[in-house]
Amino acid sequence: MTQQRTGSSRGQKILVVDDESTSDLMRSVLRRLETEGFRPVVVQPSGDRVDGRQYETEALFALTEERPAAVLLDVRFGEYDEDRFMGLNILKKIVERDPSLPVLMFTQYAQGPYRDTAVAASLSVNAPVDFIDKLASPEEVLLRLRRLIGSAPDNVKIGQQFELDATNNAVYCHNEGEKNHIREIQGMKFEILKELATAYFRSEAEVVPFSRLERFSEGEDSRASLRVRIREIKVALGKAANREFGADELIINIRNRGYRLSPPRISGTSSTSGPQG
Amino acid sequence: MPRTPRDIALYTGLAIAGIGVLLLVIGPVIGDSLSPDTVLTVEPISYAGAITLIVGLALVAGTYLIARRAGSNSGSDSDSGVANWSQVTQDYFDTFSHDMGRPFRRILGREREVRARIEESGVELPESVRGLMDEIEQQAPSFRLMLENVRVLVELEDPNANSVMEPVDPAGIVRNIADRYFALAKEQGIELSWWAEPQEFGLVYGDAAAIDHVVTNLVDNAMKFASGNIEVRLTRNPTHYYIRVWDDGKGIPDSHLPHLFDRGWTPALAGRQEKSSSGLGLYIARTLCRRSDGDLAAESVAERGGVGAGTGEADGHYTSMTVMLPLRDRPEFGSNGHSGGGDGSQRGNGERIT
Repeated sequence: MTQQRTGSSRGQKILVVDDESTSDLMRSVLRRLETEGFRPVVVQPSGDRVDGRQYETEALFALTEERPAAVLLDVRFGEYDEDRFMGLNILKKIVERDPSLPVLMFTQYAQGPYRDTAVAASLSVNAPVDFIDKLASPEEVLLRLRRLIGSAPDNVKIGQQFELDATNNAVYCHNEGEKNHIREIQGMKFEILKELATAYFRSEAEVVPFSRLERFSEGEDSRASLRVRIREIKVALGKAANREFGADELIINIRNRGYRLSPPRISGTSSTSGPQG
Repeated sequence: MPRTPRDIALYTGLAIAGIGVLLLVIGPVIGDSLSPDTVLTVEPISYAGAITLIVGLALVAGTYLIARRAGSNSGSDSDSGVANWSQVTQDYFDTFSHDMGRPFRRILGREREVRARIEESGVELPESVRGLMDEIEQQAPSFRLMLENVRVLVELEDPNANSVMEPVDPAGIVRNIADRYFALAKEQGIELSWWAEPQEFGLVYGDAAAIDHVVTNLVDNAMKFASGNIEVRLTRNPTHYYIRVWDDGKGIPDSHLPHLFDRGWTPALAGRQEKSSSGLGLYIARTLCRRSDGDLAAESVAERGGVGAGTGEADGHYTSMTVMLPLRDRPEFGSNGHSGGGDGSQRGNGERIT
C-alpha cells in the first residue's frame, strides 16, 4: 500500500494529520521535511466546525489516495473534550488498514499513560509507531522519521561538502557548485567511511567501535592499521575540500573506544547540516 | 473505627451475629427445656440466638453485596479510590501541561519561523538577537524535561504505581536522547557521543518510559556541567545492563556525593554554578531505577581548582552516573504491563530475550 520505505527520501510523501499544522512550530517541521526532499501532504478538513472525526475521515481517505511513506499524527485534536485523544483512534484505524505504515505521533509529552495506551494498541500488530514531543526540534523529527521509514539510503551526505554513494562505491566533494569524485577513497578506506557514514546517518552522536572498523584494516596491529587508514581518509577529504582536518575534526577518536564522524558545521546553518539522504 | 454507612452496617451485622452465637452457646446452659422427652432439646434462648445469628449474617452479606455492586459501578473500594484519584490527578496534569506548553510552543515556533526566514534572506543578525533565539532553543529540552519531571512525580505519588514492563531497545532509547541533545551540545561546543557494547545490543524487558526519563535527566544534567565531552555508554553482563553517562565537568566533591540523590538537593550545594535546579531530577531518576529493582550510582573526581585547571581529559576531573537495571525474564503473558509482542522475539513464557 505504501511507497518504498528505504533508499532516498526524494519525493516520499509524509501525511501530516494535525489540527495545528499551520502553526509556526509545525511549519518549521514541514519546511525541514521539504528541504530533505520529502513531500508533506497536510490533511485539512473544511467546514465551520471541524472536529476530530473529520480529521479521521480525511486522513483515512488520504491514506488511500496519497499512499504516503509515513504519517505524522497528533494525539490531541482541537478543544472539544471528546477529541482529546482522537489521535489514538486515528492511529488504531491506520494500523488496521496498514500495519506496516510508519507513524510518528506528536504528543505534548512522549511518555506517560496515554503513550502506554497507544503502545498497547499498536504493539499487538507490530506496527512501527514512535512518539515525539511537540517541542522537538525539526532535526529530531526528521531523524526519528527517517529511522521509522527505513535504513540508510544509498547516498549519505556527510555535512555539507561530502557525499557517499554506496551504489557506485564513490565519495564526492561539493565545492563551489562542483561535484568532484575523491578517487583516493576506495577499497578498505571506502568501507571504513561507509561504516562511519551509516552510523552517522542513524545517529549523529553514535560511535562506531574499533572492533567493527578493524575488519577493514590489515596487518598484525589492526588498530595501528586502522589509525593509518583514518588519517589517509582525512587527508584525502581535506585535500578535496582545500583544508586540513585536525585530530578533533571530521573523524574523531572517542576515548579509545571507536571513531565518530563529526563534519564541520558552517556557521548559521545548524538546522540544515545534519546527515542527509 | 467505622467511618461510612457501609462500615456501620457491617459492624452492626457482625455484632448481631456475635450475640446470636453467644445465645446459642449459653442457651442450653441457662434455659429450661421445652420438650425434655424429645430430641428437640432446644431452649427459647437458643431460638432467639439462632434468629439473631441469621439476622446478623444477613446484614453482613447484604452490606457486602451492595458494596460490591457499588464498587463495580464506581470503584468505591479503597484501591479503586486510589486508582481514581491517580487517574484524576493525571488528567488534571495533562490539561495543565497542555495549557502551560501552549505559550512555549508558540514562542518556539515563532523563533524557528523567524530563524528560517532570516537564514533564507542571508541577513546578518545582531549578536543579542541571535543570543535570544539560541536561548529559546536551548530552553526547549529543559522545558520538556521539567514537564516530564512533574508528570513522573505525580505518578510516583500513586501508591499503586508499578513499572510497565515491555520489550525495550535500550540502544534505541539512548539514540533518541542523543538526537534530542546533539545539536544543542554542538552549539555549546560539547561533543556528545554514545555507543553500545555489544553494538547490536538487542531487546530487554523493562520500563521504557522510566529508562528514557532517567537517562534524559542524566544527559540534561551533564549538559549543564560538561567542559567539552559527554559520553553515554551502554553495556551489560549476564544479570544486568548498565547505562553510564559521563561528563568532563569539574566534578562533585566527595563530601557532597552522599546528598546527590536527596530530594531537593541542588548542585549549588556542591559548589557548582547552576542555580536554577529544583533538585528533583536525580531524586526522581534514582527512585525510578529502584522501582525497577535497579539502582543509580554516582562517581566523581572533583576539579582540584586553581589557575590553569584544564578539561576533564587533561585534569582528570569528571562525573559519571551509572544506571544499573536487571536483565529480566519475560513476564507471564498478560500478567504485567503490555502483553503484545511488538518485537517479534517473544518465543515462550519465562524466556529471556536479550
